Amino acid sequence: MFRYVSKRVIQLVIVFFIVSILIFAVVRMTPLDPIASISKGKAMSEETRLALMREYDLDKSWAGQYFSWIGGLFRGDLGKSFQYREAVSDLLSVRYKTSVQLVAMSTVMIVFLAIPLGVISAAHKNSLLDQTLTVTSLVFVSSPPFFTGILLMLLFTMVWPIFPTFGTGSDFWSNMKYLFLPSVSLAAVRIALSMRITRSNMVEQLQAPYIQTATAKGLSRRTIVYKHALKNAAIPIMTVTALDISGMLGGSVLVEKVFSLNGVGSLLADSITKSDYPVTQSITLIMVLVFMLCNLFVDIMYGIIDPRVRLD
Amino acid sequence: MEKKKAFSAKRNTGTLFTIPVVISLVILCIIIFCAVFAPLIAPYDPVYQDISAAHSGSTEAHILGTDSVGRDLLSRLFYGGRTTIVGGLAIISLSILLGLPIGLFCGYYGGIIDSIFMRICDILLSFPSMLLAFVLVAGFGRGSMNNAIIALGVIYVPGLARLVRSLTLVEKNKIYVEALRSMCYSDLRIMFVHIIPNCISSVIIQLTLDMGYAVLDLAGMSFLGFGVQAPTADWGNMLNEGRGYLMQQPMLAILPGLCIIALVVSLNIFSDGLYRYLEPQQRKLPTFKKYDRMREKALRKAGVKNDE
Repeated sequence: MFRYVSKRVIQLVIVFFIVSILIFAVVRMTPLDPIASISKGKAMSEETRLALMREYDLDKSWAGQYFSWIGGLFRGDLGKSFQYREAVSDLLSVRYKTSVQLVAMSTVMIVFLAIPLGVISAAHKNSLLDQTLTVTSLVFVSSPPFFTGILLMLLFTMVWPIFPTFGTGSDFWSNMKYLFLPSVSLAAVRIALSMRITRSNMVEQLQAPYIQTATAKGLSRRTIVYKHALKNAAIPIMTVTALDISGMLGGSVLVEKVFSLNGVGSLLADSITKSDYPVTQSITLIMVLVFMLCNLFVDIMYGIIDPRVRLD
Repeated sequence: MEKKKAFSAKRNTGTLFTIPVVISLVILCIIIFCAVFAPLIAPYDPVYQDISAAHSGSTEAHILGTDSVGRDLLSRLFYGGRTTIVGGLAIISLSILLGLPIGLFCGYYGGIIDSIFMRICDILLSFPSMLLAFVLVAGFGRGSMNNAIIALGVIYVPGLARLVRSLTLVEKNKIYVEALRSMCYSDLRIMFVHIIPNCISSVIIQLTLDMGYAVLDLAGMSFLGFGVQAPTADWGNMLNEGRGYLMQQPMLAILPGLCIIALVVSLNIFSDGLYRYLEPQQRKLPTFKKYDRMREKALRKAGVKNDE
């Protein structure tokens, strides 16, 4: 087990560095002049220009810029934003709470809705409930998260105004109310997707010979479904939950824009629009790191659940 | 000739045209028809601004009303379908152009090229996909549809390449490939003329599914202002424009959104139908009762009353 985990960790570190180089290089391909985005297009003297370049590390070579960025990452210094002229870490420290809470709330919804619904619909295959759930999930899978968000906004402002539809609250608990609709619209697609995956895996497991054995032994249907089949279907379900988190990191950019939330996703969208690349590269790298850590966690869980995985 | 025979043999056990697939095909045909013939059926130019008629609800001149600068919503929906479908097709064409050869070569030759490309795929897959597209768009310069299409095309390559590779790995060890090799066929000919037709069905299924996701992603890009730009009609970008007038005129945002859902749902159902039809192991064998009924029907058709 130790070998298995350490192998995964080493892989993660290598991939992380390659990804950071990739992000760094791609972001710098942008045809826009960084000085122009710092000064917002105003004309300036040569001295100011040079001073600005020094201030933002732009006078260094690409390699120098890369190492000062990646070195700073470990000290919590991610460089300075072009458009806000503030340290990126300060910008993030204000905004990360909203995004983390948004993604966490959506994850809770996915785990507590998608998996039980998938299991139920597999256990009652082809029943009316199953068919209704399948059709509903198909519609939600095909609805872009920002459109779900817009519909929810309309519904909860015009018809049933119990949830606020934009902005954020002051602390964690009041935020729960503000972030409810955004997290529903972020989770809707993923719930539908996870439910379908859970259902198809459960259906497959319930047809396996060991289920017949269990039935022949006289175990109750409940034990068979929840203890035997669900355990065996767990690996694909966990994989798809990790993918859900990846999808939500991308989706949060859209949802935060719809609900005008002051989170990391909207900052990312904003930074791309203004070609503020210290912000773009840092946020992307952090999100990729979060995703990679989720995958690592899932990989380790595989090893715990299924001993066969540890061997290769 | 041979192909036809294979299909007719399949038709005995299953059909592509089940009711959901037929409905989805009809919806797809309507959407494609409207998109292709937009210049003929649209009542107005999609970018023509009639300021005096701005924000009109449903009137005789404008059936679905107009947007904030007086552009006809119906015409914009038709033209928007055009942009959306062309964009989606461009994205999946790009991904197939790169993914198919990469997967094929990696699977067929293996070795060092294979491991290099597969590591690249691993790295690309370690990004949340939309995020990779955002980074690429930031790099290429945002605000042009072509850049958004290239960025989104790239994110579908690794998945497709892996699929083709795994299919090729199975195919290349089959006896027919050995036979072709012994007849001194070139590798290229074996790959493109013989292996591709044998794994194309899975690729097509994946492509129809990807097309749906590509449409959603492109709409998301346009929604953020990274894709199709303002005056051009596109469902994603119309949604973004309509968002500003949600309380006064909700139809401006709802209709493009519903169009996106209709397109993607029908693509998904169609892809699902294709999967059931083309992957024989997924197809359910007819139950004994059904088989009996089918046999009876066939016999009656042949003019035999009782075959015993």
